[in-house]
Amino acid sequence: MSVEAITKAFRQTVCEQVRIESEGANRFRVFTPFMFNDGDHLAIVLKKEGKGWLLSDEGHTLMHLTYELDERDLREGGRQKIISNALSAFTVEERDGELVIGIEDSRYGDALYSFIQALMKISDVSYLSRERVRTTFFEDVKTFIEENIPGDKIRTSWSDPEHDPDGKYPVDFVIEGTKGPVFIYAMTNDDRVKEAMINLLMFEKWGLKFHSIGIFENQEEINRKNLARFSDVCEKLFSSFPSNRDRLLKYIRETAGMAAA
Amino acid sequence: MAVQLTDTEIGALIHETKILPEDFRVRIRPRTKRGHKEFEYEVDGQDGHAFLLKFRQNELNTLDFSVILLYIPKGSNQHFRLRRYNGKSHEHTNKIEGDTFFGFHIHTATERYQQQGLDEDAYAVQTDRYADFISATDCLLKDCGFAISNKNRSLALWGMN
Repeated sequence: MSVEAITKAFRQTVCEQVRIESEGANRFRVFTPFMFNDGDHLAIVLKKEGKGWLLSDEGHTLMHLTYELDERDLREGGRQKIISNALSAFTVEERDGELVIGIEDSRYGDALYSFIQALMKISDVSYLSRERVRTTFFEDVKTFIEENIPGDKIRTSWSDPEHDPDGKYPVDFVIEGTKGPVFIYAMTNDDRVKEAMINLLMFEKWGLKFHSIGIFENQEEINRKNLARFSDVCEKLFSSFPSNRDRLLKYIRETAGMAAA
Repeated sequence: MAVQLTDTEIGALIHETKILPEDFRVRIRPRTKRGHKEFEYEVDGQDGHAFLLKFRQNELNTLDFSVILLYIPKGSNQHFRLRRYNGKSHEHTNKIEGDTFFGFHIHTATERYQQQGLDEDAYAVQTDRYADFISATDCLLKDCGFAISNKNRSLALWGMN
């Protein structure tokens, strides 16, 4: 096959895979071979807005990501950064969920390629999927406490029988010590942090005397506002468990007034 | 490790009886989220399995929606998509079979797509059984073992218009 024939065949194949179809006045659907992991192709519309033309995904890309991820996850941390970087790198604008790129000087092709690159980059955030299998964090903390604190000093899922007979405000672990009880919460996510915060505030309201410890599976994954509020009501925080085992045990023993085993 | 299911297990989960309260639709409170409305509803199957219904409706394009049935395996926070009833806003390609189409389509979890390392519900078939969000929801409820009262349906009730 000659170079010319290869070139022609190449162009023909590539061109055939990008096509547009009219969807009413000043509006066309753009079909491309680019797709998400599930085989759904990118949604792209070419439409006139004011005096100019633009390409839009009409909000499909971010909505598609929410089939797997929480929308909130797209606004925080690494995923938010990937999305904002992709938007700025390819001069794509977000308008309340709709991604658009303007077409300058009739350069439709350039705009389309930039738009596709941005959408593909954004769709990559699904690879940063949340940890799928439940962790053994809580069980690990429980085992650690049981191995290092005398069994008769530990209460698991304790609630105050006087103020809370229905057990609405439980504590993950209570260590009974000579200096008073130590309340320990093992937290994997924002919901658990909020729950622990409410419980601690309720204990304060009831006038309970206690020390409190919060252990995070991964503090970096906790919303900053939630973390700030929680730190106001909890005495001591440990940002993670595995690397703080010794410090955690030392702190529990000191706070509870226990001698080392 | 991601949960993998056989076609037999997938079929059993899809057809497991799931009872929704009579006022199920009234309970729905869709929220606007960055260009689309969404809501989710957890339901238990009669064989003890946990399921989640996800609803998505694009606010710019009424033909762009998705009604999804997911299975939540015990002891895991993984959501496994069993069925997904999509609108008509994009083409779909079945990567194994190689066919591409543009239209309303229903994604179904399959063993063979999982074995190829693809998304569990990456296989889809085109359909003319529905043409909007509500009729797609009806199809999912009918196809997937749901028992529910069908009274008092309207777009406004769903909060989708």
